[in-house]
Amino acid sequence: MVKKKSFKRQDLWGWLIMLPSLILFGFYVWEPLFENVRLSLHNSIRYEVLDFVGFDNYRRVLASPDFIAAFRNTFSYTLWSLVIGYLVPIFLGIIISETVHMKGFFRTGIYFPNIVPGIATIWIWNYFFTPGATGVLNIILGKLGVAPLEWLNNTHWTIPLIVVTMTWKSAGSTALIYMANISAISPDLYEAATIDGAGIWKRIFHITIPSVFSLAKTLLILQVISVFQILYEPMVLKNGGPNNASISLMMLQYRYAFRDFDFSGGAALSVMICIILIILSGLYMKLTRSKED
Amino acid sequence: MNGFFTKYKNKKDGVIRGYDISSTSVKIACIIIMLICLAIVLFSVFPIIWVFLASFKDIKEFNRNVTILPDVYDFSRLKATWNAFSFPKFYRNSLIMVLGCILTSVFFNGLLAYALAILKPKGHNVVFLLVMWSLLIPSSTNIIALFRNINILNLNGTFFPLWLAYGANAFYIVLFKEFFEGIPKELLEAGKLDGAGVMKIFTAIILPLSKPIIMVVAIFAVTAAWSDFLLPYLVLKGTNYETVMVKLFSFKDTPTDAVSVLRACLFAIIPPTIIFALFQRQITDGAAAGAVKG
Repeated sequence: MVKKKSFKRQDLWGWLIMLPSLILFGFYVWEPLFENVRLSLHNSIRYEVLDFVGFDNYRRVLASPDFIAAFRNTFSYTLWSLVIGYLVPIFLGIIISETVHMKGFFRTGIYFPNIVPGIATIWIWNYFFTPGATGVLNIILGKLGVAPLEWLNNTHWTIPLIVVTMTWKSAGSTALIYMANISAISPDLYEAATIDGAGIWKRIFHITIPSVFSLAKTLLILQVISVFQILYEPMVLKNGGPNNASISLMMLQYRYAFRDFDFSGGAALSVMICIILIILSGLYMKLTRSKED
Repeated sequence: MNGFFTKYKNKKDGVIRGYDISSTSVKIACIIIMLICLAIVLFSVFPIIWVFLASFKDIKEFNRNVTILPDVYDFSRLKATWNAFSFPKFYRNSLIMVLGCILTSVFFNGLLAYALAILKPKGHNVVFLLVMWSLLIPSSTNIIALFRNINILNLNGTFFPLWLAYGANAFYIVLFKEFFEGIPKELLEAGKLDGAGVMKIFTAIILPLSKPIIMVVAIFAVTAAWSDFLLPYLVLKGTNYETVMVKLFSFKDTPTDAVSVLRACLFAIIPPTIIFALFQRQITDGAAAGAVKG
């Protein structure tokens, strides 16, 4: 009896200790989720919520021409980031694992871009991509005898180049995760493969890559989720341009809410982005699970 | 040259093992790999070095001279921009922001992790699940409702909503939880027998043992809070509390000459670079370990 009572008291203490942090989670994560849904179904003027309007806000957002552009671009960002950004960290992880000299220097070097604040990263790359003779990349190309390029002003290049800057910043930290994974591979596997006559390439494709595969699957979905939320890169670089070529869904949401003060429209867009991401995550989990079974 | 390869005999990582190194083609491969890695590091670091170099150019030189290196290294030019933008103020505000975020990151996430890892009250599994799910919820889709709530509570223009945001971070909670679970149970039992209460065990036993993980979380909080811009921009814009990132972000709306923006970038990069130089081991190890478990 006494024991049971003290057990309950321990529970109470546990919940009391969790309470402050749970309130913060409620305020920053959970409540806004529901609040967004409510806002999206109502009319509002600034912070004041007015009448229930059903799905009108959604219809309005879907009908705007910017939405089509933002929707297409966001998928384009995601695809390009899978083409450009996804394999780079795997390559970096594998190749740096093969060094014995200056390994610490390589690790530090590739991680360095990650500590540069995102906004500063974008400004810096803006100077690299400056068209004309004074852009840094054009200076370098000039030394090699290549004519200056248009870089971001070429609408076909805008999104891939923005993805390059994102990859520059984040690939190093992801590569460190792969390196930790690679160094955990049992040496016996390699030894056994060598005895069986497997050369270096064979070992990469039959041991290293299968070993990092499950990590790579997890990082895939995390990358899709994070790239889908791309916001400040196109905003700072080209303000969504040229001619809406780089506007993203998140940026459109920002415009609705903080440029036009249309919180309802912005909330409707947020809810849709959320739903797309949940569907993507769900689809992904289903696909990977059925493969494992 | 042979000395270069003897180290490969004890190679513990990757595909090429010590027993491969006797073959010439493997030796050549090792050298090529070294060169590729050097090129990769150059590519990673060059833009940052370029900022340092180009900040010394003045605007005429910047717009006309097709060179990477500046003509002269004149620190008074940097100082002029530093004063013209009253950067000391932005640095002070960023410092206030960062210090507060360290406290909330450690305190709130540490407490929740303590409950999840050690106290385990009834229903703690549900709490952990909710916390982990928050990793999958795109945080920036919350920004509209969150900003609205901040305004309704009249917290706009203050640091409070920015500080407290760092108290709800699933990643830090996972780091703390993993660490606390590794603390020997005997120590906690001994504390209980001595009659220490739940809070006493936390402050007197767990926190002193947790210095390494507090360090890691604090370092992450410093770099994250220093770089944070979206919520700070929305909350602090136009007040006297604008941080370095708010300033840097608002350059997109206010036409400023290229060199000034560049120097502002340099000022924004210097503090995290110093932190990184001091704690590179903790930062790179933490980045690898935390992300795998999270």
